Amino acid sequence: MSHYAVTAIGADRPGIVAAVTGVLMEHGCNLEDTSMTILRGHFAMMLVVAGPQTSSASDLEVALSDVAAGLDLVVAVRAMDDTVPSSPEGEAWTVAVYGADRPGIVHRVTSTLAAVGANVVELTTRVIGTEDRPVYAMVLGVTLPPGTDGHAVSNDLSDLARELGVECSMHPSEADIL
Amino acid sequence: MPVRPVLRLPEAVLKEQAAPVPVVGGTTRELAVDLVDTMRASPACVGLAAPQIGVGLRAFVVDVTGHRKAGSCHGMFVLFNPELLLAHGPIVAREGCMSVPDLTGDVSRATRVVVRGTTPEGDDRVMQVDAFEARAVLHELDHLDGVLFLDRVGSASSLFPRRVYR
Repeated sequence: MSHYAVTAIGADRPGIVAAVTGVLMEHGCNLEDTSMTILRGHFAMMLVVAGPQTSSASDLEVALSDVAAGLDLVVAVRAMDDTVPSSPEGEAWTVAVYGADRPGIVHRVTSTLAAVGANVVELTTRVIGTEDRPVYAMVLGVTLPPGTDGHAVSNDLSDLARELGVECSMHPSEADIL
Repeated sequence: MPVRPVLRLPEAVLKEQAAPVPVVGGTTRELAVDLVDTMRASPACVGLAAPQIGVGLRAFVVDVTGHRKAGSCHGMFVLFNPELLLAHGPIVAREGCMSVPDLTGDVSRATRVVVRGTTPEGDDRVMQVDAFEARAVLHELDHLDGVLFLDRVGSASSLFPRRVYR
């Protein structure tokens, strides 16, 4: 079996997941890891599927084209490299940043994280509040490289937050295995 | 006593209702020892329920000694036929399970719990546990009813791949 990353984006409507997965099933593909989300009515999903070696990424993309046209989706299929590890090594932390909306918050925060080699593995941002007083809220899941002092990174982010005039907190999000 | 293999999904026994321990005696004491030995064999493990080692009986072991999130700590204890008497003050925390490798999830559980059961010596024991010890007790109690943390994750966005550590 080969693995393919299938992405589909477009305006949300009922039946997208059923239609896309129906085509994949007909072509002998097995769904493995998937994620989907909707942002203000805009739908996006990514599926990691195992497919027969006889088909190629472009075969699958062609097979999905009718469904894509019918549902007005942009669908792309890429072959995946199975030798790449599925998740980065390191310690899991969660970062929350929120405050008055201003340009560059995500860029500045993630640049600070990138400088210590942290990998952003989850990111959600929302603009909340009212039109005249918008509030920006962001939650990041990050993986710090092994041996990184998470509290030192937290201090760096606090300094940055002060400069940007926003609030920032960071805490370990390791799961307890019971 | 042997360390037993910890069963993983999709083993059917993990999704079954465990039967009450009929008599606390020699066999059940052996079960208690196996639970303890198997838990001890995995350094990060803080609890284990009998179905996880393939025994469909209502028994578990918990030991949160030294855990950074522990409040109450009763050391290592085995309970047979445990019953939940009281549970309140839920909080959400991320947990995983030896029987569900590769995933973790955010699960809401009570932080103050009273549980009652029978010790391997045959004595009735009522225990008040809190914080992480309460979470461990509730997680193990769930195993006795065939409930996994996957059944309790708050939403689709509350499920995460387990990070890789070395």
